Amino acid sequence: MSAPRSSVAGLIAGRLVQLPFIVLAVYTLTFILAWSVPGNPLENPEGRRPPAEIVEAMKKQYKLDDPVAFYFDYLGKASGAAWLLGRHDRPFDLGPSLKQPDWNVNEILATGLPVSMTLGLSAMLIAVAIGITAGTVGGLRPGSALDACTQVLAIAGISLPSFVIGSALLMLFAVKLGLFPVGGWGGVRSVALPAFTLSLPFAAYISRLVRFGMIEEMSADHIRTARAKGLPRWKVAFKHALKNAFLPVLSYLGPATAVALTGSFVVEKVFAVPGIGQNFVDGVLGKDITLVMGVVLVYSTMMVMFNLAVDVLYRFVDPRIA
Amino acid sequence: MLYAPSVRVLAPVLLLILALLAAMSLDSPLPPADLVIIERSDCYTLDPQRMSYQHELRRARVLYETLVNLRAADCAVVPGVAERWEASEDRKTHVFHLRADAKWSNGDPVTSRDFAYSWRRAILPDTAADYSALFFAIRGAREFHERRAAKLKEFARAPGDPDALWRETEADFARTVAIETPDDRTLVVHLNTPLAYFLDLCAFPCFAPVHAASVEPFVSIERATGRLIQRHDWTKPGRIVTNGAYVPTVWRYKRDMRLEANPHYWNRAEVLARTVECRTIENPNTGVLSFQSGGADWLTDLGPEYKTEMLAERKAYLARFRGEIEAGLARGAIEDDIVGGLPPPGPGERRDVRGFNAFGTDFFSFNCRPELPGGKANPFHDARVRRAFALAVDKQQLVERVTRLGERVAGTLVPPDSIPGYPRVEGLGLDVARARAELKAAGYEDRDGDGVIEDARGERFPTVDILYSTASPRYQNLALAMRDMWKRELRVAAECRGKDSKLYKEDLKKGNFMIARGGWYGDYGDPTTWLDLQRRGNGNNDRGYESDEFERRMDEAEAETDPARRLARLAEVERWLFTEEAPLIPICNYVTVYMYDPSRLGGIAEHPRLEQDISGLGRRDGAPAPAPAPESMR
Repeated sequence: MSAPRSSVAGLIAGRLVQLPFIVLAVYTLTFILAWSVPGNPLENPEGRRPPAEIVEAMKKQYKLDDPVAFYFDYLGKASGAAWLLGRHDRPFDLGPSLKQPDWNVNEILATGLPVSMTLGLSAMLIAVAIGITAGTVGGLRPGSALDACTQVLAIAGISLPSFVIGSALLMLFAVKLGLFPVGGWGGVRSVALPAFTLSLPFAAYISRLVRFGMIEEMSADHIRTARAKGLPRWKVAFKHALKNAFLPVLSYLGPATAVALTGSFVVEKVFAVPGIGQNFVDGVLGKDITLVMGVVLVYSTMMVMFNLAVDVLYRFVDPRIA
Repeated sequence: MLYAPSVRVLAPVLLLILALLAAMSLDSPLPPADLVIIERSDCYTLDPQRMSYQHELRRARVLYETLVNLRAADCAVVPGVAERWEASEDRKTHVFHLRADAKWSNGDPVTSRDFAYSWRRAILPDTAADYSALFFAIRGAREFHERRAAKLKEFARAPGDPDALWRETEADFARTVAIETPDDRTLVVHLNTPLAYFLDLCAFPCFAPVHAASVEPFVSIERATGRLIQRHDWTKPGRIVTNGAYVPTVWRYKRDMRLEANPHYWNRAEVLARTVECRTIENPNTGVLSFQSGGADWLTDLGPEYKTEMLAERKAYLARFRGEIEAGLARGAIEDDIVGGLPPPGPGERRDVRGFNAFGTDFFSFNCRPELPGGKANPFHDARVRRAFALAVDKQQLVERVTRLGERVAGTLVPPDSIPGYPRVEGLGLDVARARAELKAAGYEDRDGDGVIEDARGERFPTVDILYSTASPRYQNLALAMRDMWKRELRVAAECRGKDSKLYKEDLKKGNFMIARGGWYGDYGDPTTWLDLQRRGNGNNDRGYESDEFERRMDEAEAETDPARRLARLAEVERWLFTEEAPLIPICNYVTVYMYDPSRLGGIAEHPRLEQDISGLGRRDGAPAPAPAPESMR
């Protein structure tokens, strides 16, 4: 961690000052990418098409005929600046979805984001639980059969794609055994399978981090002292060794949580989870510029906040950093 | 102090848990509904005037009630908001009398002005309604639409006062479009022609009323262009006001929609399920698994990868009980009621899937233009060549070996028994000898014995360019199978060309093909929704078919004022079109495959138009809940 040596308040203030610049850079980059994709979001090859003059008028209405105007107009409405200046009736307006004109992006995010967050955060919790248990078990007796087992499982978790694991779990636990519902969202039972599937690669990585940390820690001087005092092995491991072995996990948690929140598209698809991932991919494919820009803006803001949270936590867990 | 570090390790985990609880509190699960339906895609809109997709229209039928309804069982016209109606002698004027107890879900009465307001929305070019052309049957509507479009164009060039333009438009509509509202409960409509299917049109969801008072606040006039801009926020639960069987109370984008019985609906006693959950599951695999694990009562669109196998399992099940089913049908019982009462299926059998003949026909179009792009002569301009190619297709084999959904082979476009009073029409069947004779008459035969036919000058029949879309393997398989049939039976060279949907459409519109995949679902209950496809200048006449004879025959048949004689004459036109002209080769009627267990769910409509009325669906175990009095929801 390369956080500057300053107070926590200073760290937070500094990051919040950086935030708009980072988000603006992301916005500009996404804008360039989204506009350079060929195609017209108002066109629909499969459906019936509105007459040409209507399409022209809609292009004007959404400022699709003028990228520069779109850039500033959208930025003003999304950031709330237009609202502050009294030019728009509401702040943080991410605009109507171009593909689904009955919906605006704020509404789409309001329904999809809590779902994706529930999925992503549950997955991280499961990943931490599995990862620490497996890593500790393996790290305490490196080279044992149990260790080999956890290692194999970790490799499987990292290398098997989630659509394979997801489909297999779905078939076994939901269809054959009927333990979990398929499709639909709401309640712990519907979260369990997709969250578990999503957690596996993270769990595998965490278990390897913890295992290495444990092996190192268990041979350290203070652990030997504790063992010499007659404390049982598991107590030493969980009370003394784990707190240090956990540090690398903590720095991994920030980016990993961000990945779990944003990268759950495949899992969402397999389990029909109504999260934001599916909408985002549809938006990219259909060149739904407002939807793509809106999702990217919200996610990049969240990403910055997560990293900030992890940095603050890190100081709390390991005061030597400050 | 000894435990402090451990607590610190737990802190991030606690933080994760807190964030998770916060996220979960933002998203509450719904209580179970009386009926759960799985759809492949969410509704694009709940604005009836802007709808065009089948699943949307199905939803609209239970949200908005039209003047008249189509009875699901036979598509007969029955009273809706109008309790009775009459037509003038020349059938150009229709008077609808609205029922006194027709109410919006907020308790307001449904008035004739609601219909006039909604129909104006549909006719205005500003709304960009897909089906605005259906309203052009009304006297003055087309002219008004065109005038308004021209005015807007002019305004865009030289802007003036947008409010004045709108006032002028409103006055123009009231003056020129023949929709009259003499009082709140009477609607008078004058038509251009004695349109035989006008009542059927009135049952189409785009003709449904919207609640003006809740729509108007979201309508504004764009200063720069003078256009009416309609924000669609009024379609959201909490704001939306409907006059049909249900009101949406929850709508989460691409996730689910919850419908609750409308306490003010006049016919609420007939509404079976009090609550309906319409869930969107885009992945067809997950949709099937969800149904199979008991997550839904009805899956409206089974993925293509399952259909064949599952329908075969149904066939095996039905075969075991053939005697019982035939006896039941002879008694006049409905197939689902019989099958639902039979013992449960054994291994390798199922009854929870069923294919229905839809109001759609799968076909391949001939390019009928005199020339192909590039200026080469088009052999398919000659009706004899078209007939030859149509006669050489073994459709029975195509549906049995290629598409394999138990489709009904089609000789013409209009699906049999789909339109009350329209007779069955025979088209061209398989007749290879006659096909060869037709080609010979057109001047094509194998003159030099090389196995390929040539014309009189010894030039080979050009390689037949068969265009299909790659959106589904179905069309590739059909194209390949037909290519082989033509190669074998007619001795022509042929090549298949697959393009993705967009490029396929472009080639189709430009006439860059000789034979191309096509297909059509009928929009309303009249043969013209099919026959008009061959009309000169029709936007969907991809064949470039033009025939004065056909136009004359159609005009004559349409001029017939007696409905029964009119249908008979149209049938004669269709027979002539498909036995003589053959602008396209009808292959089969589309099959729509549903998943539902007839022992658990009752009320699925069998009529080919598949106008399923969701309010008529109910679980067989639960007796319909009593309809609450209007006050109970307030």
